[in-house]
Amino acid sequence: MTTFQFLRRLIMLRPLLYVGNALAWTVIYLIPIAPGLITQQFFDSLTGSDSLKIGTWGIIALLLAAALARVAMIYVGCITDVQYRFRMSMILRRNLLGHVLKQPGARAIPVSPGEAISYFRDDVDQTEEAVSWSVDVFGLTCFAIVSSYILLKIDVQMTLLVFLPLVLVVTVAQLATTRLQKYRAASRESTARVTGAISEMFGNVQAIQVAGAEDRVIERFRRFNEDRRKTMLKDKLLGETLDTVFTNSVNLGIGLILLLAGAKMRGGSFTVGDFSLFVYYLTFVTQVISNVGKFMTYFKQMTVALARMTELLQGAAAGVLTRRGKLVLAKGSRPAAEASDPAVAREPLRALEVTGLSYRFPDTGRGIENVGLRLEGGSFTVVTGAIGSGKTTLVRTLLGLLPKDEGTITWNGKPVEEPGTFFTPAQSAYSAQIPRLYSDTLRNNILLGHRDNDGELARAVHDSVMEYDVAHLQQGLETVVGPRGVKLSGGQMQRAAAARMLVREAELYVFDDVSSALDVETEQKLWERIFASRGNAACLVVSHRRAALAHADHIIVMKDGRIESEGTVDELLAASETFRELWYGDERGKDGRVQQD
Amino acid sequence: MNRQSKGRSPYADMLRRYLLPQKNTLWLLAALLVLTIGLQLVNPQIIRYFIDSAQSGSDLKPLLLAAALFIGFSVVQGGISVLATYFSENLGWKTTNALRSDLAAHCLSLDMPFHKSQTSGALIERVDGDVNALANFFSSMIIHLIGNFLLMVGIIVLLFRESWLIGAGMTLFVIAAVFVIQQIRKFNGPFWKDWRQASAELYGFIGEQLEGTEDIRANGASGFVMGRFYNMLPNMLRVRLRAFLGFASMWNTTIVVFTLGNAMAFAISAYLWKTDAITLGTVFLIFFYTELLAKPIEKIRTQMEDLQKADASISRIRTLFETRSSIEDGPGAPLPEGPLAVAFDDVTFSYEDHSGDPTLSGLRLQLAPGEVLGLLGRTGSGKSTIARLLLRFYDPQEGAIRLGGTDIRQCKLSGLRKRVAMVTQNIEIMEGTIRDNLTLYDDSVPDAKIVEVLEQLGLGSWYASMPQGLDTMLASGGGSLSAGEAQLLAFARVFLTDPGLIIMDEASSRLDPLTEQRIEEAIGRLLANRSCIIIAHRLATVQRADRIAILEDGVVIESGRREALAADPESRFSAMLATGLEEVLA
Repeated sequence: MTTFQFLRRLIMLRPLLYVGNALAWTVIYLIPIAPGLITQQFFDSLTGSDSLKIGTWGIIALLLAAALARVAMIYVGCITDVQYRFRMSMILRRNLLGHVLKQPGARAIPVSPGEAISYFRDDVDQTEEAVSWSVDVFGLTCFAIVSSYILLKIDVQMTLLVFLPLVLVVTVAQLATTRLQKYRAASRESTARVTGAISEMFGNVQAIQVAGAEDRVIERFRRFNEDRRKTMLKDKLLGETLDTVFTNSVNLGIGLILLLAGAKMRGGSFTVGDFSLFVYYLTFVTQVISNVGKFMTYFKQMTVALARMTELLQGAAAGVLTRRGKLVLAKGSRPAAEASDPAVAREPLRALEVTGLSYRFPDTGRGIENVGLRLEGGSFTVVTGAIGSGKTTLVRTLLGLLPKDEGTITWNGKPVEEPGTFFTPAQSAYSAQIPRLYSDTLRNNILLGHRDNDGELARAVHDSVMEYDVAHLQQGLETVVGPRGVKLSGGQMQRAAAARMLVREAELYVFDDVSSALDVETEQKLWERIFASRGNAACLVVSHRRAALAHADHIIVMKDGRIESEGTVDELLAASETFRELWYGDERGKDGRVQQD
Repeated sequence: MNRQSKGRSPYADMLRRYLLPQKNTLWLLAALLVLTIGLQLVNPQIIRYFIDSAQSGSDLKPLLLAAALFIGFSVVQGGISVLATYFSENLGWKTTNALRSDLAAHCLSLDMPFHKSQTSGALIERVDGDVNALANFFSSMIIHLIGNFLLMVGIIVLLFRESWLIGAGMTLFVIAAVFVIQQIRKFNGPFWKDWRQASAELYGFIGEQLEGTEDIRANGASGFVMGRFYNMLPNMLRVRLRAFLGFASMWNTTIVVFTLGNAMAFAISAYLWKTDAITLGTVFLIFFYTELLAKPIEKIRTQMEDLQKADASISRIRTLFETRSSIEDGPGAPLPEGPLAVAFDDVTFSYEDHSGDPTLSGLRLQLAPGEVLGLLGRTGSGKSTIARLLLRFYDPQEGAIRLGGTDIRQCKLSGLRKRVAMVTQNIEIMEGTIRDNLTLYDDSVPDAKIVEVLEQLGLGSWYASMPQGLDTMLASGGGSLSAGEAQLLAFARVFLTDPGLIIMDEASSRLDPLTEQRIEEAIGRLLANRSCIIIAHRLATVQRADRIAILEDGVVIESGRREALAADPESRFSAMLATGLEEVLA
C-alpha cells in the first residue's frame, strides 16, 4: 500500500467527519484575510482615502467581529478535529493490537515489547498528525489563493517582486528542515542512550556496587552525556537558524517593500493602508509555507510509520491496519466487549500426535529438529533436559506460540491446521516459564475474562497452592499486582500463572517449568493437588525436578533440540546417560559426600 | 535514615555550583542580548522615518537608504540570535551534564534501602527529567525571560516618548494581557496533564499486553484484552476533547486579547492623529510596536511556567542530593591479600531500625582463610542477610564483622567490594555487549581471558553462535539468553575478578543438575585458595563445603565440619541427609 492510499483509506474510515473538519478549518484559515483589509481601511481612513467610510469606531467593531467569528470557529474546529483524530488513531491501534494478539504468542511482535510500544504510540501519532494536517494544508491553500488575489489587485509588480523571492527563501529553508530531521534523529538517539544508561545503572545497581564499577559506569555515562550535548547543539543550531530565516523573512519582506515603495508612496499610488496590508499578509507567508512543509514532513514520517507498522504485522497485508469497525465511545454505554474467543466445541482428547516438528530461531539457527511425540488422553508427560536443549521451544512450537517450520500435529487423528488458534481453552491451557502478571487485581489476573462459575476460582487457587499467599495479601484476591502493584515473588508468580491455567477447563494442561522457583515442599503439594483434581485431563510438563519426574507416565529427554531418549523413569535410568545425570544430579549431596574427585 | 538539612536558597546554590564556572559565556550572552533588543527596537523607527519622509515627498535617496538599513539590521539581528542560541544551549548542556553526572554518581553511591524504595523509572525522571527541566533554567531563561522583559519595557518606554496616552494605554494592556492569559492557562493547563496521564495508562496497558502475548494467547484471553482496550476509550475521548478545548481556549484568549490591544492602539492613535499630535508614520509605529508586543508577552508566560517547573525540579534534586547513604565509607584500612578469614562477632541486625524481632540476633560465625562454608536454613532464616552485611549493603546495629581480622567498617567500600564477590540468583543482564556485561566496562580485562572463562563454564558453544563474538549486544534482562545461560554469565563475572571471599547466594537455582555438574570443575578452580560462603536451600549445593552452619531465626543452631556433622547421628545435618531429599529445608 502506498502512503497516499493509506492516507485515503484512513480518511475513508470516517469520511463525513473528515469533510466537516476540513470545512471548519478552511473557514478558520480564511477569516484572517479580514483583519488585514480592516487595518488597511484604518490607515486609509486617516488620510481620507478609505472606501468603507465607517469611521474609526466602525473599523474597530469590524475588527472585533472578525476576531469573535474566528474564536467561535476555532472551538468548532477543535471539536471536529479531536473527534476525527481520536477515532482514526484508535481504530488503527485497535487493529494493530488485535492483529498482534492473533500471532503466535511467543513471537507475536518482531521487536522487544518496549520498542513495540513506540509503534502503538509514536507511529500512530505521526500518522494521526499527517492526516489531520492534510486539512490544514487545504485551508492554507485557500487562504494563499484569496490573499494573493487581493494583493495582485493592489499592485501586481510589487506583489511579485516582494513575495516571489520571499516564497523562494522560505521554501528553501523549509526544504532544509529535512536535514533537521536527521539531526533530530541523532539527538533523539543520543538521548535514548542517556536514559537507557540511567535505567541500566539503577536497574542493576547491586551488580554495579558488588563489582565496584561505579566510577567506570559514571565515566561511561559522562561520555553519553557529552555525545548528547554535541548532537543536541547541532540540532538546536540548525533549528534556530531556520527559525531565524522564517521570522526574519517578514522583516526582509518589509525591507523589500520599503525599497520598492518609496517612489510609489511619494506619488500616492501606494497608500500607507496598502503598505500595512502587505506587511500584514507577509506574516502569513512563513506560516503557510512552514505548515505545508510540516504536512510534508508528517507525510514522509507517515511513510516510515506505515512501513514500521506493516513490519509489526509480520507479513500480513497492510490492509489489516485500516480495517473498519465500530468503537463504542458514547458516554456510559457498555463497550461491545469483543466476543470472547470462540470456545470450540470440545472433543475429549484421546491422543495428541506430533511428527517431524521443527523450529529454528531465525537469528541463531538453534531450536528443535524433527521432534515426534504421542500424548494419550489423561496421561502425565514430562519433558526434561539440560538448559538450552529445546524444552521450552518444543512446547511453544506445539502450542503454536512459535510458528513451526515443519511437522504435523494431530488431535484424535485429525490434523490441527492452526495450532495457535486451536490450542486454547477448552482444548488446552498453558502456564509460561516466566509468566506475566498485569497491573490489575490478582482475581482478574487469574481469570483474564474467564467467568468464575461456582467456585472455579477458589478451586484453582487451592490447586495451585496459593491459598496461603492469598490469605496473606492485604486485599486477598482483590490486591492489585503486576508491574504497578504489589510485587509477587517468583514462586508466587509461577503459582498465579498455574491458577490462571487451572481455572480454565481443558483437555490438556501445559506447564513450562512451573516449579523452578518453588521450594520442594510446595512443589510436592502442587503436583499432588493437580494430580487429584485434574480429572481426565492430560498434562505436559517441562521440568528437571524429581517431584515432577516421579509422577510421569512418560518422560521425554531433550538434547540439542532433538529427543535423545524417552520412556519411564526406570527405563531411562537404565538407558540414558543424560537422564541418569539429571536424576542423580538432583540427588547429589544426599549422602553428604563430594562425589566428584 | 535519610537526613535532610535546611540550606541556603536552592537557586543560589545551584547557580553557584554549576553556572559560575561558565561566567564568561554568561557575559557574552548578556552583550548579545542587549544588541539584539536594540536592533528590534530601532527597526520600527526606521519605518516611521520612511513613511513620514515618503508622505512629505522627500528625496528618494534617503528612502532607499532607510530601506537598506532596515534590511541590514534585520540580517544582523538574525545572525546574533543564532549565535546567542548556540552559546546558551551549549551553556545549558554543559551545566546540566555536570549536574546529571554528579547526581547519578550520588545516587549510585546510595544504599540498598534507597534503591529498594525507588523504581528505575522514577530515577530516570529525577536524573534526566528534572535535570532537563533545569537546562532551560540554566540557559534560555536568561535569554528569554530577561531579554523579553527588557524588550517589553523598551517598547513601552518608546511609546511613552510618543505620547503619554499611548504609553499608559499599552502599559495597562500588557498587564491585563499577562494576567488574563495566565488565568486562562491556569484553568486549562491541568487538562493536558489528564490527557498525558490517560495516554500513559493506555500505553502502560498495551505494553503489559505485549509482554504477555504468550499467556494471553494460550489461555484464550484475547477477547478479554480487547474488551479492556475498548473500555478505556470513552474516557480517553472525553479527556482529550476537554484538553483540546482547553487548548482552543488559550489560543482564543490570545486572539481576543491581541485584537483588543490592536483596537485600543487604533482608537488612541486615531485620536492623536486627528488632534495632530502625531504623524502617520507614528501611527504605523504604534501599530507595529503593538504587534511586536505579542512575542514577549507569550514568551514571558511560557518562561514563567518553565520557571515553576524548574522550581519543583530543583527542590526534588536537592532532596536527592541531601539523601545520605546510611553506610558511611570507612577510613580505608587495607584487607590482607589472599583468602580472607570471616568472623561475625555477636552481630545483631534488623532491616527496620526499631521493629520487633531482629533478622540476626547475636550471630557468631567463624571461617578460616580458604575454607568453604555451607550456610543452610529455611527461607527467612537470615542467610541472604549475612551476604548483604558482608558487602556492607547494610550495617549491623550491634557487633562487628571482620575480614582477615579487619572490621569491614574500617575499609573503603570500593576496597571491600573488590575483595568480596557475590553471585546471586537474580539475573542482572544489562543492555550492552557481552564484554561489557562480563567486565562491567573494565577495559583492562583481556578478551582471551573472557573467552577462556566462557569455555570453562560450558558456554563455549553458546559463545561460538554469537555473530559478533564479545561485541554481540545482549538485550536488557537477557533477551535471547535462556534463564540458565544468563545465570552462568553472572558466574563468569566473578571468574574475571580476583576476590578473597566469594559468596554464592542460591547461585545455581536456575541451573539444571546436569549443567551444575558440568561447571563443578570450573568452580573448584575458582575457589582454590579463596574463602567461600555457599548459601542454599538445597543440600546438593553445599556438597563442597568444608564447614556447615544451619541458621534458624537469625541464630546459628548448628555448625561444624561437614564430615563431622554428617557422621554424628544426633546432628540436624545428618537428620537432613537421612530424610533423603531436601524437604527439611523447604
